[in-house]
Amino acid sequence: MNYQSKANKYVCPNDRQLSLRAKLRTGWSTARSEPPLTATEREAIAAVVKRAEKVDEVEARRVGRIVARLEGMRRSAQGPAPRSCLLCGETSRLLAPLRTCSICRNTACPKCVIEMPPHRSPIYSREQYMCNLCAETREMWKKSGAWFYKSLPKYILPERKATRRYNDTELARSLQDAGNSSNEGKTDSEPGSPLSVHAPTFSRQPSNTDSRKSIVSSHDTHHDWNETDILSHGVSGLSLHRTESLNQRSVAGLKRTGSKGSAYSIRSIRKEISKPLTQPERPTTIPDAGFGTLEIKLAYDNGTSSLAVTVLRARGLIGMDMTGLSDPFCRLEILPREGTYSNRLRTKTVHKTKNPEFNETLHFFGITESDLAAKSLEIVLFDDDRYGCDEMGSATVSLRDCAKSPIQLRLALSGATGTEPTGPRVLLALCYSTKKRALVVTICRAAELPPRDSNGYSDPFVKLHLDPDPYHKKHKTSIKWRNLNPIWNEEFLFETRPTELSRQNLTLTFWDKDYGKPNDFLGSLVLGASSKGRRLKHWMDCIKFPDHRHEQWHSLTDTQHL
Amino acid sequence: MGGSDIKWQKDAADQNFDYMFKLLIIGNSSVGKTSFLFRYADDSFTSAFVSTVGIDFKVKTVFRHDKRVKLQIWDTAGQERYRTITTAYYRGAMGFILMYDITNEESFNSVQDWVTQIKTYSWDNAQVILVGNKCDMEEERVVSAERGKQLADQLGVEFYETSAKENINVKTVFERLVDIICDKMSESLDSEPAMLAGGARGQRLTEQPQSNTNPNCNC
Repeated sequence: MNYQSKANKYVCPNDRQLSLRAKLRTGWSTARSEPPLTATEREAIAAVVKRAEKVDEVEARRVGRIVARLEGMRRSAQGPAPRSCLLCGETSRLLAPLRTCSICRNTACPKCVIEMPPHRSPIYSREQYMCNLCAETREMWKKSGAWFYKSLPKYILPERKATRRYNDTELARSLQDAGNSSNEGKTDSEPGSPLSVHAPTFSRQPSNTDSRKSIVSSHDTHHDWNETDILSHGVSGLSLHRTESLNQRSVAGLKRTGSKGSAYSIRSIRKEISKPLTQPERPTTIPDAGFGTLEIKLAYDNGTSSLAVTVLRARGLIGMDMTGLSDPFCRLEILPREGTYSNRLRTKTVHKTKNPEFNETLHFFGITESDLAAKSLEIVLFDDDRYGCDEMGSATVSLRDCAKSPIQLRLALSGATGTEPTGPRVLLALCYSTKKRALVVTICRAAELPPRDSNGYSDPFVKLHLDPDPYHKKHKTSIKWRNLNPIWNEEFLFETRPTELSRQNLTLTFWDKDYGKPNDFLGSLVLGASSKGRRLKHWMDCIKFPDHRHEQWHSLTDTQHL
Repeated sequence: MGGSDIKWQKDAADQNFDYMFKLLIIGNSSVGKTSFLFRYADDSFTSAFVSTVGIDFKVKTVFRHDKRVKLQIWDTAGQERYRTITTAYYRGAMGFILMYDITNEESFNSVQDWVTQIKTYSWDNAQVILVGNKCDMEEERVVSAERGKQLADQLGVEFYETSAKENINVKTVFERLVDIICDKMSESLDSEPAMLAGGARGQRLTEQPQSNTNPNCNC
């Protein structure tokens, strides 16, 4: 809008102006009979606009504080659970029964709810409680003006480390400068358009891209990022490419944050980021086969004839999930076994890491000195997963060396021994058909299914569904009677898009058909972007190479998750 | 002026408030919009006419129903030549004070046009109050209070006759507008509880990178 330009007094109105004019019924002429604004007028307006910007910025900071406060509450909340408080995790007690929030429908303890004034809520007249989270959200909508604009106005989040609230840190200043300079730059270059620049904006997008860039470019070390920044700005590819100092792992981690946005993953990733900085890794002295190394301490006690195995740490493990991280734990066993009795111990799981610190001592009892000479200790690292465990590597060490004095060892892990799963398993073929725009799942066969009927067999069939699926499609195979190694070779179609597929999970549940009583559960399998190891690989292959049939065996887990 | 300047700065920097409402005063040129604002914000009055250049605003914090409400009151130029600038600020305003001069028939006739402007440029749920200013000049009155009331009823808005010079109803108008907006606020939140539930959360989850482009899978 060249309002001030003297040269073109007549301009062709754009569509928006035309439609507005049509509504105003003021005619179609856009000739400007009035003289253009003088320099002093422009100056006066610019001064007012600048003043307004200052007010807007103060307001944006205030809204930012409200948003941050709510975000903090959300993060510290325990999350919805059936019989515990949404906020503090308190379970129901006799004198303090849980209330149901009439807005979010979650349960919360009496301390974490407020009573709604009865007249306020004509819709939910029965339950008049509101959990603190919903109350706070409501306050935020009121205080920020979002109730009016139907979305949050632009806001600037407070810096985490600034306990002195009104003292601007460098971060804030750079953020602000970036915003101002870009605005001023425009004003200088095209003074004729104060409108386009200074018209109040109510979306938070434009200013945020600026601020995001400035945060990243002005700080080359990543520990200057604070949680709220990552949370609010939503880590995008743009900002990631600008931080060369972030190592590959944290990039992968942050990417996942962007896609999932859960507070938990952010926290764990932050831990990951800061870890290499705080404790420098010792150089690996022994060659490893790409499966990482493991440090253990062995101590044999003659008196109690016990072997104490301290699993210290592992380094450079292979990644098993989407983010390239794993949830490793160690299973220890003394081999060869005596009879059918297996002497297995396991460590706790260390979550979301490739360099776990176990620091855990496990004791094997009843180990004689002659055992030490003949036997060895096998340590297998597994990736902990709700839907089955994948082997990440293993190592075997002879016990002979630790007979006299405790020893500390660093072991190179070797790759997973048996690549084909054993036990109850299923052969599954996945294929994304671009022609049919559907995922074609072929249940080929299953093996070694557990017997559930008194005749020593099962009558297996499989239920399949995709989750989340807008079509809510569910499939079932036929029933193979009296068969523990059934062959189906049945094909099922799920309509979906490849982009959707990376967010979906395919769930297979195996059942034993029974008449007159509920079907028995045989096992399950979940494939998807959130699964790990073999299952993840299979799923990603299917997405990456559409129109190809990907066939693979998978172990079934006996946990039922629906 | 210096004193009021300091006061303004104090008001603008004041963080201690619950809600912030943006109000806009509109109406024909010389109906008394600026005087009205000065009377309310600074409790001052001058009969000298200085045409507002484009746009101006003042900030005032009021206490209403146990809540501190910060008002950013925009004073607009009535002249047609600033129209493009002033209409840009309609979008952010929660409340409008539509003013005419009871001694000026033309300003009253333009009310309908101003309403059209509001409808065109503002948010749908913006609240409007019709104000007939200069009610102290009874002898020069050409628009009767009844006509004003009638028009307000017709438009479905509230109506007040005020005088910035004699400080009649000035405070009342602003307080009433704040009340109307407050009512509207609780009404809109109660009618849309679903909006609350996921609203803020949805905001930052909108950007979902396509995870299948580079799944970063180490298997």
